[in-house]
Amino acid sequence: MKIKYSILSRRKFLNSLLSGWIITFFSTLLYPIIKFVFPPYQEPNEVILPVAQFEDMALFSAKNFSWGNKPGILLKKEEGLLAFIAVCTHFDCNVTWLPKEKKFFCACHNGWYDENGINIAGPPPAPLKKLVVEVKGENIIIRKEVKLEKI
Amino acid sequence: MRKFKDWFYERTGFDDFINFLKKKNVPRHMYTFWYYWGGAILVLFFIQIITGIMLLLYYKPTVEAAHKSVVKIMNEVPLGWIIRSIHRWSAYLMIAFVFVHLFSTLILKAYRKPREITWITGCLLFIITLAFGFTGYLLPWDEVSLAATKVGTDIPRTIPIIGIWITKLLRGGEDVTEETLTRFFAFHVCVLPLLIFAIIGIHLILVQKHGMSIPISIEKKKNTIPHIPFYPNFLYREIIFWLLIVGIVITLAFLFPASLGKEADLMAPTPKGVKPEWYFLFLFQTLKLFPSKILSIPGDTFAVLLILIAGIIFFFLPFLDKKPAGKSGKLITYFVYLLIIYMIVMTIWGYVS
Repeated sequence: MKIKYSILSRRKFLNSLLSGWIITFFSTLLYPIIKFVFPPYQEPNEVILPVAQFEDMALFSAKNFSWGNKPGILLKKEEGLLAFIAVCTHFDCNVTWLPKEKKFFCACHNGWYDENGINIAGPPPAPLKKLVVEVKGENIIIRKEVKLEKI
Repeated sequence: MRKFKDWFYERTGFDDFINFLKKKNVPRHMYTFWYYWGGAILVLFFIQIITGIMLLLYYKPTVEAAHKSVVKIMNEVPLGWIIRSIHRWSAYLMIAFVFVHLFSTLILKAYRKPREITWITGCLLFIITLAFGFTGYLLPWDEVSLAATKVGTDIPRTIPIIGIWITKLLRGGEDVTEETLTRFFAFHVCVLPLLIFAIIGIHLILVQKHGMSIPISIEKKKNTIPHIPFYPNFLYREIIFWLLIVGIVITLAFLFPASLGKEADLMAPTPKGVKPEWYFLFLFQTLKLFPSKILSIPGDTFAVLLILIAGIIFFFLPFLDKKPAGKSGKLITYFVYLLIIYMIVMTIWGYVS
């Protein structure tokens, strides 16, 4: 039934009301579903390791540690210990340190990084993520690199 | 018995379906062979369901237990090794057949009006089949499958803005962890089966509605195309093909049982020679070809976007190629042959290198 001067018939009005209601109802359900599907995770701000485990490392040798869910690598160099997140910046494979070549290597797509974590060959688009190492008494403290902003 | 039949038909209307099958015809011409592949895929899919449910009885989807439970299936469970191997080989064959079915549809132009939706549901089934392969590959939780999953789930990240969320959704977080295994298990045994059943249903109903597509070259040549009845003539031929497939699957499973690598370790460096399964090799090799930067865009973003665009064109092909027997048809045929050659070359290259 359509009343004179009305743009809609009563049926059409009711139908759009119902479908609008259904769409709104189900889209409100979407929010908790999406929220639920992504678990919370925070990258650690720092990891503390006992010095004793890393004391007797030879020059240009490396040891692994856990950086949250990711592997980290501690590399012994002349100037001290360097720490990297041992994950390739290309497609997230775990890299390995090759002491003979003095390079990091990713076996997935033949990516190479030099001893400072700089990408030098293969597909990796960026250097390995570097972490800050600080030796304090009995502990090695490994931190995220703090980026200083320009004033 | 007859009484029961009548009683049953009266209540279900099942006789309509029987009558439909009795009347159903299949055109017979030089390309009839390509009508067998869809049914063959279904047979392989049923083998997957049965062997998959059997594996479910012993498999445990946790980081601690997954690899051990697969070792148990292979070494202790009676006939476990062959059930798992059949599951693996039937999956391989299913994926190969899906490729064949897809390309034959493309070359014979069976996607054209009025079969656009059939084509789109087919594309969805193709993606779901690959997703089955991808999620199933991680479940044994060995070194190589972990590395392949890390790369595979990281690929969407290169898509600007939404990519990172797809990666997080797939992994259940920033990284591949135990969450990823649980999630892949849920996808593999619950989400994907529900989806594939629904879409196979639509796909089959549409195929029945429109009947088999007759290639234009055949239609042009003859005024009347001979048909054979679906039952028994076509079905019996299909069954020959099906039995052959079952034989091939069991033989392959027996001669080349599914392998199982070393247990995965989330912190260990990726082992050398990591490769994805053969059906992803051509994409893997393509990704390798791109340099780290193209026109100041990261090379992998460029490659992934390119592949994505190709996928979208593929999906909406029936809306781009509308003219029956038009020039565009030939162009597409050549392009498909080129694509097949490209895929084969890249797969072999990826396999050898």
